[in-house]
Amino acid sequence: MSLCVGTALAVMRLSRFWFLRIPAKFYVETVRNIPGLFWLLFFYFVFPELLPFGLREKLHGYAYYSVIAGILGLSLDNSAYVSDIVRTGLMAVPRGHVEAAVSTGLNRFQQFRYIILPEAFRIILPPLGTRMIHNFKNTSLCMVITAPELTWATQQVESITFRGLEVTFMATVFYLFVAFTAARIIIRYEKVLKIDVASVRRAGT
Amino acid sequence: MNLFEQFANWKFYILGAYPNGPLGGLFLNVSLAIVSIIIGLIIGIFFGLGRASCRRYIKYPSVLYIENIRSTPLLMIVFWFYFFLPVLGFHLPLFWSAVIPLSIYAGAYQAEIVRAGFLAVPRGQMDAALSTGMSRWQALLFVVMPQAFKMMVPSFVSFFNSQFKNTSVVYIIGIVELTQAGIIVSQRQPDRIYAAYICMALGFWIVCYTMSHFAQRLERKLGILDYESYKPEICREDLLLIPIPKAVKKVLISHK
Repeated sequence: MSLCVGTALAVMRLSRFWFLRIPAKFYVETVRNIPGLFWLLFFYFVFPELLPFGLREKLHGYAYYSVIAGILGLSLDNSAYVSDIVRTGLMAVPRGHVEAAVSTGLNRFQQFRYIILPEAFRIILPPLGTRMIHNFKNTSLCMVITAPELTWATQQVESITFRGLEVTFMATVFYLFVAFTAARIIIRYEKVLKIDVASVRRAGT
Repeated sequence: MNLFEQFANWKFYILGAYPNGPLGGLFLNVSLAIVSIIIGLIIGIFFGLGRASCRRYIKYPSVLYIENIRSTPLLMIVFWFYFFLPVLGFHLPLFWSAVIPLSIYAGAYQAEIVRAGFLAVPRGQMDAALSTGMSRWQALLFVVMPQAFKMMVPSFVSFFNSQFKNTSVVYIIGIVELTQAGIIVSQRQPDRIYAAYICMALGFWIVCYTMSHFAQRLERKLGILDYESYKPEICREDLLLIPIPKAVKKVLISHK
């Protein structure tokens, strides 16, 4: 979700129209400068209050609203970072490639779909992967809005069994396992998809 | 609904219950971030240089620390220190039980910054310093370190930003910092819920925004890192102040 929003925002920010550029900049600056925890709390406690009464009652009745609020909050937080990463990737695509795409007769959408975005995503894969792992770690914050995830489950088990040490140890091991595996996979793909950015840039200029 | 009344307790967000109670609010966030970054810097220099070493018995413990901390959520580290130090018989004041996990977390990230900064200093600088008759300690202190720190400054400022945002996490152990202050107000006075959340957002936003602009300006001013020629080495032995054992020296020389 944040990947889509982030990419859209990045394209908006590089647009030549100010009415696209400025809202995107505003969004990114606002979201990036406020912690993710705030957005989680905001979506859980304040967002339903802003909705009309009938809808609010429905949301309060819905058992998994905490999960939805968690998803919304995290993707809002993440999308701003992703958009910045994607923006640097788009800027790193050499101008010559875009011009080549134009000269082969691709239209604006096709340029993005077939030339610019694939290249940009190959360049930004390492920071994007880091961001994804970071986001995975941030999911532990969903505990504060009682979304039933690993940290929350840990606290529940601890409050029943009073075996905090063992439980927290297990939770840490789970987190480590997932993060390490993700990191390995990303490093592998990096090697497969690696572009020598410096050489690309030299060729571009 | 009076607008001024909504924001009447703005002091609570900035200072917490300060004159009548412990310091809190935004001020606490900032001080948590600063203290944890200073302690984290010490940890970071230690482990960062350790990771830059070519010797396995120095390198692997630091890699273990850095990678483990970096792939654990901060919340988990906070829990470890808050709930399980008392089990082992240690009792810390609340402030320190927030600072210690934060600085351990910061230490792992700063170790990476330190390593990148030190490895980016060209090897020739160290050799030149040594050939002028400086000791290794002097060369490190007066030649390598200033250059390395100059390169690290932008990443430190942006790291301060993310660390400052991370301090919002420790509200979970009951410290009355900005997030907790906002939650307290919004629960005691439900009619002020919007004001509370606006104050929270504004507090974080102002600090982070100024810092990130400061960082941008600093980067432009210092703009020294030439990314094209930036090819850091994997490990450097000369950065460590620990004397190199003879056995290791032999191996290093034979490699050359």
